[in-house]
Amino acid sequence: MIKEIMDSSFLEEVEKQEGVVVVDFWAAWCGPCKMLAPVVEELSNEIPGVKFGKVNVDNNPQISQNFRIASIPTIMVFKDGNVIDTMVGFRPKSELENMIKKHI
Amino acid sequence: MKRYDIAIIGSGPAGLSAAINSKIRNKDIIVFGYKDFSSKLVKAPKINNYLGFHDISGIELKEKFEEHINAMNVELTYERVNNIYAMGDYFSIMVNETMYEAKAVIITTGIEYTKPLKGEEEFLGRGVGYCATCDAPLYRDKVVTVIGYNKEAEEEANYVSELASKLYYVPMYKDHYDLRENIEVVNEKPVDIVGDDRVQKLIMTSREIETQGVFVLKDSISPAQLVPGLLMEDGHIKVDRTMKTNIEGCFAAGDCIGKPYQYIKAAGEGLIAALSAVSYLDSKK
Ligand SMILES: Cc1cc2nc3c(=O)[nH]c(=O)nc-3n(C[C@H](O)[C@H](O)[C@H](O)COP(=O)(O)OP(=O)(O)OC[C@H]3O[C@@H](n4cnc5c(N)ncnc54)[C@H](O)[C@@H]3O)c2cc1C
Repeated sequence: MIKEIMDSSFLEEVEKQEGVVVVDFWAAWCGPCKMLAPVVEELSNEIPGVKFGKVNVDNNPQISQNFRIASIPTIMVFKDGNVIDTMVGFRPKSELENMIKKHI
Repeated sequence: MKRYDIAIIGSGPAGLSAAINSKIRNKDIIVFGYKDFSSKLVKAPKINNYLGFHDISGIELKEKFEEHINAMNVELTYERVNNIYAMGDYFSIMVNETMYEAKAVIITTGIEYTKPLKGEEEFLGRGVGYCATCDAPLYRDKVVTVIGYNKEAEEEANYVSELASKLYYVPMYKDHYDLRENIEVVNEKPVDIVGDDRVQKLIMTSREIETQGVFVLKDSISPAQLVPGLLMEDGHIKVDRTMKTNIEGCFAAGDCIGKPYQYIKAAGEGLIAALSAVSYLDSKK
């Protein structure tokens, strides 16, 4: 399951969370984001103990600005509230899976 | 949606050899390419190193290939593939607005992609992009530079200029440019893209511009751009002896995997790639 995260809820949902949180920065107009979405969805069901969220960059400029998102899709992995890994652009499922699993 | 067993990208000797061998193994295939198969084939004046065909011209060899694939009912889809996404169990193949799906993919796109600029790969996703229309909204009110290798880049530049605070256009070809008035054309050769953790400047032969985004819009797509996540080595797709790439279900053959650049090598590798794809499909059953 993937939780929709907003500028207003980011602190609570991501930065104050213990453990690993994966955040998918996306927008409706972005083709590769559409392709990555089902892959992230699958992983969210397959990897237990990790929280998955997504941020629509159009509706949440503050967070996108703070994390200097320059290209989407961008996937960020947070651990105890800090960014520990970033992946820019579409990536194969296996690669994304390895990146996340490395941190748990 | 219909899901093919194998999608073959490219119609040179590597792709066609992969196609006939996949067909012999009764796989449901789709082959993307061109009517002429390969410009490198029809351009060759005389070929003396293709076993069985001494002293043949490229055009004659192309005709032989054509008879062969027609006899085996291999049809080509005359389209250029833009992106291939590894979804896990299958691949999504994007051709402009159309999408195809296949369980395995064989990349046989040949080689002719332009070398990346200095800094281009380093800053990819951190200010450097290949799709202006995709990432433009992220550069709203920022300074953006488009390095255009063809006419189509002008259209993208016009679109980005509606959002950016300032747009520089660096043409890599000579022509009349159909650009909006507020775009500044810079007739210089780009040398280096520099910055700290993000792009800051584009350095050219006799001028530097401060810019937060650089879009590099080329004719040809490098394999790593075509298939995000594909591992390259020295400018070629990295494969093992079975033509397997780092992505499960994705194989490659021909010039795109390395030298020597020769027809019969390409055809031989196409055969290996097809057989590897077939065993991959069988192992999934
Ligand atoms: C003038 C000339 C003479 C040569 N003479 C000889 C010779 O005598 N003997 C010899 O052995 N070799 C010769 N070569 C080399 C030979 O042409 C190549 O090694 C061979 O064509 C490689 O085959 P390939 O299938 O790997 O790629 P290519 O033949 O380059 O075919 C790749 C095809 O894929 C297409 N393609 C690329 N990207 C996409 C995409 N995204 N979507 C759809 N289609 C795509 C390309 O347009 C192209 O049609 C010669 C080359 C040239 C240019």
